[in-house]
Amino acid sequence: MRRNTIVLIAVLFILAIFAWAGWANWEYRKQAAEKLLSGAGQGELVPAPGGDAMNYVSPLDGKPAPNFALENLSGSKVSLASYKGKAVMINFWATWCGPCKVETPWIVELRDKYAAQGFEVLGVDTEGDDLQASDKAGWAKAETNANKFVTEMKVPYPVLLDGDSISRDYGGLDDLPASFFVDRSGKVVAASVGLTSESDIEGKIKKALTE
Amino acid sequence: MMGMRKQLCTAVLLSLGALAGRAQVIPPAAQNRSIITTDAVQYLFPEQVSVPAGKPSPVTLHFRVAQGLHINSHTPSDEFLIPTDFSIPDGIGVRLGAATYPPGTIILLAFDPKTKLSVYTGEFDIQARIIATPGNHLVQGKLHYQACDQNQCMPPKTISVPIDVIGK
Repeated sequence: MRRNTIVLIAVLFILAIFAWAGWANWEYRKQAAEKLLSGAGQGELVPAPGGDAMNYVSPLDGKPAPNFALENLSGSKVSLASYKGKAVMINFWATWCGPCKVETPWIVELRDKYAAQGFEVLGVDTEGDDLQASDKAGWAKAETNANKFVTEMKVPYPVLLDGDSISRDYGGLDDLPASFFVDRSGKVVAASVGLTSESDIEGKIKKALTE
Repeated sequence: MMGMRKQLCTAVLLSLGALAGRAQVIPPAAQNRSIITTDAVQYLFPEQVSVPAGKPSPVTLHFRVAQGLHINSHTPSDEFLIPTDFSIPDGIGVRLGAATYPPGTIILLAFDPKTKLSVYTGEFDIQARIIATPGNHLVQGKLHYQACDQNQCMPPKTISVPIDVIGK
């Protein structure tokens, strides 16, 4: 009888330990899941380094703009170096980028306004970011889309293809639109990532023209 | 008889102890498997499914879009926008028969209130009909999407959707 009681108590004790272990495990997993979810909720599109889109400071600020030579929509090579002596806005965009579509008419308008003062825009299409080099159909579609976009938006300035090949030189360009404003000597004087405003872009164009 | 009882008791105690110990120690890797972290979209679950071999079987795949972001639905409102698309690579013993996507939520963005966008935000499910051959198959499905927030867009991306498919 006494032995049975001891065994019963021992079994109950063990079961209690087991129940406690299960509860502790459940709590641990719950806390870990909450931690993971709270981290996930923050997303990837954090403010650009150096401030918000309006006050974005590029690591290239004050440095010579990395040179490049890319094909335009007609297949001719266009280099940044050939624009020395002019203020240039290098505008990285893509057809799938809604904010790029919004700012394009502003850029067209400002380009026409300041062209006579020695200002030009180079639109750099970064269409195929995740396309494999061997994906010829993908690249052809990207070029067709770029052509269509440029025609629809009546873009008067040179539009260059394969911006992905130079994106690393310009800081990686994780987000679009991204613009770099280059003064007449070829130095980056301002930059922006994300949609800002027409007046913000105009201010940066003026800066590029006067510095 | 007494010796047998003792041995039995010891065995029960050891088994319970082992079970209790196992329940407490959860390797971080095992917990992380249920949530696959990506830049903008996470694949949530299922990690493993059992389906009848050779028969089209529905599997509901759960995803989450990070807070503050949206991705285009499978049928975006503009021809230039990149649709969300799920696929399974060929030759791994599991084939995608069809995928049914949820309708997108229509949103208007502050920067362009005239344009309606059909998007996924928060959690969304894709119903995939898969056909598996008998056996275990570690499938690396692919979800292709393109994410934006109010002012900027991230490049299109393809993430892996790992599912252990058991064809019975």
